[in-house]
Amino acid sequence: MITAIAWKNVWRNKTRSLTVIAAVTVGVFAGVFSMAAINSSILQRIDAAVNEELSHIQVNNKDFRSSADIQNIINDYPEVVSVFESTPGVTDVTGRLIVRGIASTATKSAGVEITGIDVEKEKKMFTISEKLIPGTGSYFEAETKFNTVFIGEKLAKELNIIRYIFTPGSIDFLREEGVPSTVIEKLETLQGERFTSDKKLVKAYEKLLAPSEVEKYQWKIKEAAWSYREGSKLILSFLDINNNQTGAAFRISGIFRTNNDMFEEICLFVSIEELRQLTGMKEGTYHRAIARLEDNDITNSVTREIRQKLTDYEVLNWKEIQPDLAMISDFIGQIYAVFMVIILAALAFGIVNTMLMAVLERTRELGMLMAVGMNRRKIFIMIMLESIFLSIVGGFAGMAVSEIVIAITGKTGINLMKYSEGMEAIGYSAHLFPTIDAQFFITTTILIVLTGIISSIYPARKALKLNPVEAIRTE
Amino acid sequence: MKVIEIKDLHKIYNSTEVKVHAVNGVTLDFQEAEFAAIVGPSGSGKTTLLNLLGGLDLPTSGQILIDSVDLSKLKPSALIDFRMKNIGFVFQSYNLIPVLTAKENVEFIMSLQKWTKQNRNERTYELLKAVGLSDRENSRPAKMSGGQQQRVAVARALASRPKFILADEPTANLDTKSAESLLDIMVKLNREEEMTFIFSTHDVRVMKRARRVITLEDGKVVSDETREK
Repeated sequence: MITAIAWKNVWRNKTRSLTVIAAVTVGVFAGVFSMAAINSSILQRIDAAVNEELSHIQVNNKDFRSSADIQNIINDYPEVVSVFESTPGVTDVTGRLIVRGIASTATKSAGVEITGIDVEKEKKMFTISEKLIPGTGSYFEAETKFNTVFIGEKLAKELNIIRYIFTPGSIDFLREEGVPSTVIEKLETLQGERFTSDKKLVKAYEKLLAPSEVEKYQWKIKEAAWSYREGSKLILSFLDINNNQTGAAFRISGIFRTNNDMFEEICLFVSIEELRQLTGMKEGTYHRAIARLEDNDITNSVTREIRQKLTDYEVLNWKEIQPDLAMISDFIGQIYAVFMVIILAALAFGIVNTMLMAVLERTRELGMLMAVGMNRRKIFIMIMLESIFLSIVGGFAGMAVSEIVIAITGKTGINLMKYSEGMEAIGYSAHLFPTIDAQFFITTTILIVLTGIISSIYPARKALKLNPVEAIRTE
Repeated sequence: MKVIEIKDLHKIYNSTEVKVHAVNGVTLDFQEAEFAAIVGPSGSGKTTLLNLLGGLDLPTSGQILIDSVDLSKLKPSALIDFRMKNIGFVFQSYNLIPVLTAKENVEFIMSLQKWTKQNRNERTYELLKAVGLSDRENSRPAKMSGGQQQRVAVARALASRPKFILADEPTANLDTKSAESLLDIMVKLNREEEMTFIFSTHDVRVMKRARRVITLEDGKVVSDETREK
């Protein structure tokens, strides 16, 4: 009966209860959804770091990272491979040759890290091959007598390999994409012009379009004007095994696009055989051994095990190579906690306020209940149940809305292209796919109920302090 | 048989600058199945005496014995329990629980006393029939007239078969027809259930129906008149 009365009391003042429930729903949704967005951003970054750039564990000569010396190879690569292969949890191993050099085109040059890879093995171990920009070639599949190189979009732009040209085809593309004719007419004046960088293109169309048009169509304009001539070449220069300057022309096999500008700008990939030949390094020599694990969660334990076995080498996992990423990964728990405190504090204040008003409004009724024999424990429970019902209804509604919105945006993604330049400069994707684990939902639900209980204590105590004689006389 | 014995009861309020002697040396007995009205001008101590009788307030001195149990000796939790089992209340403003139906309001006290569902249903049906509201059992207070609400309040007060009913100005908010109808019901229940009713009232309609009229002035009993009806 007490439970039924408490539930009915919640709906006594529908407007007020619904307002509180709506506030709780919005609060919980805002917190959970923000958390899911942050979570996805971090997880996507970790995923990219592991699957595109670093893999789980790397083994180097102890001097390799501090010195650019080509001589700092892994002295006994077969031993390293054998240790990896005998360690449970390791699924794949590959070796890389890495030299630092300069990439040049006719107009520009840039410092790069040239990585010689076993193309077939790396295709299995990394997802970088899937990051190929359509229309820019392939992942080392071109039939050519030239050396080939797989480079990042940022480097391609830096070296003027990618440029922006307004052709009649660009205008047709914009029409097909539904850009209004008023905007296209303005852009037609750019026909035939070449832009060697993003900035120059943006400057040009910003002069022609209204800010709202720029905001709405900038990505389509860039896509329409984006231009790359397949089979473009660049020159890679570096030192060989004898410290003599060497180099060669490389035909661009394909261009990849990731969310990490720095990685795109610095790292380029060539076939390990071609690099070995150009540097004069012996067959079977490698600068780095890379292992992939069956699960990211075992990274620390496997690293420890490998480190014990390979004491002559530097053994590092992705968390140690990119400590900032590891810190954020570990920090996510604390971000969770901060968000939860904010959500629950808002929830608690809402509940306390509403229940205090409810107690005040029902003073006479509470006095009557005390007079007819409802003891203090039951009155306390009744007020407590009302608070819990309010928080549960609001909390669960918030969770349900969050679950639905996260499910939808988890598939469609949230496009933050406006901030892509800043986000991608630090390696984060501007296209987020919010995700949150079940544990978070369970913990949040428990915490919401606990908050409901805690925030009911004060109003319930207020109710208990009522004197039935005075309470009954209240108007 | 005596249901209530009041011995030299005093209640003094010290909360204001002026000491108020609201009940001043009252000694009274109430027998089983009495139908008594406590009357007197405003401030004469009627409501205070009723609150003391109901265990809602504690006397400054004196004793109230209900079935030989001294109310002032009971601990607060025991007093609440005692009230629930032995005393029925009818208030001037009805004080029904607005979110419950008439039936649920009557059942409420019985459910606090952990009656079985079947017993609750039977007793509720019997009482709502007795107060003439068996057709309104599913109505909420807001959908009923003042007279109907007060009849539900009487049914609620009787629900757990208390030893007596205390009614504070039960007809004050009712029109003549509703008040007469309510009094008819209370007289009938007094006779049929042999229930003791004690009213505090200004209402001459109640005074006329009462078999005993106790008049208070300045907290003292100035007359105690029993009539044959």
